[in-house]
Amino acid sequence: MRILQRIIWNSRGEFLEGLLVTAQISLIAIAVAMAVGLMICFIRMYCRPLRCLAILYIEFCRSTPIYVQLMWVNYVWPELFGWPRSFFAAGWVALALQSSGYLAETFRSGIEGVARGQREAALSTGLSPFLTMRWVILPQAVLLMAPSLMNQFLVVVKSSCLVSVIAVPDLMYRGLRLTSIWFEPIEILSFTAFLYVAIVFALSAAIKWYSDRVRSRYA
Amino acid sequence: MFADSIPVVAASLFWEYRALVLRGLLVDFYIFGLAAVLAVAMGLFACLLRLSSLRILRWCGTFYAELFRNTPEYVLLIWVHFVPPLLLSLIFNAKISFSPYASAVMALGLASSGYFTETFRAGILSIPRGHIEAARSTGMSGALTFRWVILPQAIRKMLPESLNQFISLLKSTTLVSLISVPDLMYQVSMITQEQMRPMPLYSGAAIAYFVIILSLSALVRKFSEGRRAVGRA
Repeated sequence: MRILQRIIWNSRGEFLEGLLVTAQISLIAIAVAMAVGLMICFIRMYCRPLRCLAILYIEFCRSTPIYVQLMWVNYVWPELFGWPRSFFAAGWVALALQSSGYLAETFRSGIEGVARGQREAALSTGLSPFLTMRWVILPQAVLLMAPSLMNQFLVVVKSSCLVSVIAVPDLMYRGLRLTSIWFEPIEILSFTAFLYVAIVFALSAAIKWYSDRVRSRYA
Repeated sequence: MFADSIPVVAASLFWEYRALVLRGLLVDFYIFGLAAVLAVAMGLFACLLRLSSLRILRWCGTFYAELFRNTPEYVLLIWVHFVPPLLLSLIFNAKISFSPYASAVMALGLASSGYFTETFRAGILSIPRGHIEAARSTGMSGALTFRWVILPQAIRKMLPESLNQFISLLKSTTLVSLISVPDLMYQVSMITQEQMRPMPLYSGAAIAYFVIILSLSALVRKFSEGRRAVGRA
């Protein structure tokens, strides 16, 4: 108990800062992944000449382990493209890379899930294809795929602990650093693990609650 | 330095170390095999707990599944590698430590057993109640019903999903290099430190994983589509 008080309470600032970095990197990664995923999804669905490339991109992102991608982005991209220049950027790029592949497929199934008649009706009332997508298909598709989108965010939060490997000062990194300072792994590592479980559990409970509510209202 | 910008020449470095890399890959598969056995066993056990008629057992099963589904694998890996050995040392008053292999198998097995619990549960719950009642009314015991009526149908239902779980388990075996199990990524990082040329090595590793996992998941997809076609007929 004294150790808990001495180390964990006294380094609460450290843990909080770590949490903040975890939240930051996860939010940036999911936002970028959604943008890139939507773009790739459109290329895959509506741009015939580039379709193969889009499929290759999606399959690459989905079938390489996140840790391998992280190392690849961190060590190879600066040499190949001269970017990203910081560990933090490498972290969110890798997380976004992984998720954008999954999200592209989520978006596709969401868009394809909207009934065909909706699109035809919108086009025949004289809406342009862009307006149809913006005002008829996407609003319905978003509703269909909202639970999967949120689950992908959960996956990002879960894998974000890996960025500690490339020295991004997130929650896991702070936990490991405090452990090596105080050498009390039992308390510190258990507390770090507990924080992760609590956050991920709270998020997944919220997502489940929300998607049940959406399903009961619209299904 | 210039040679690195030509992909073919660069890839040759990865090829030069193929023996080491291949040995690392075998270690990956070895960990994967052991962790998969542990995951299926614990998953089945927790699933039976979740379906038990006693509320306290059901509660334990749910707690188990939620705990391991919600812990990031890397956090669990580090925790298992450092904390339980110390706790055991305190209890038995002797110095105990886990070999990296043992920690890796335990952590990855436990992490994915949480998912297997849910997959198994969904498979078993999908069996129509009438089948169970029919089996029981012909005089089969609970265990016999489970073995001969529920399990054969449930396995067919949950096989595609389980195969996907195995693929994600294989993907997460890359993490074991972080507790210095000499797997593919570990070898790659060691060679990188020696050669100071990360580009060909990490790209090679990414491509190797891409090819392996893409072909495995294509096989799984083909298999489960065949399964679905058979089920519909």
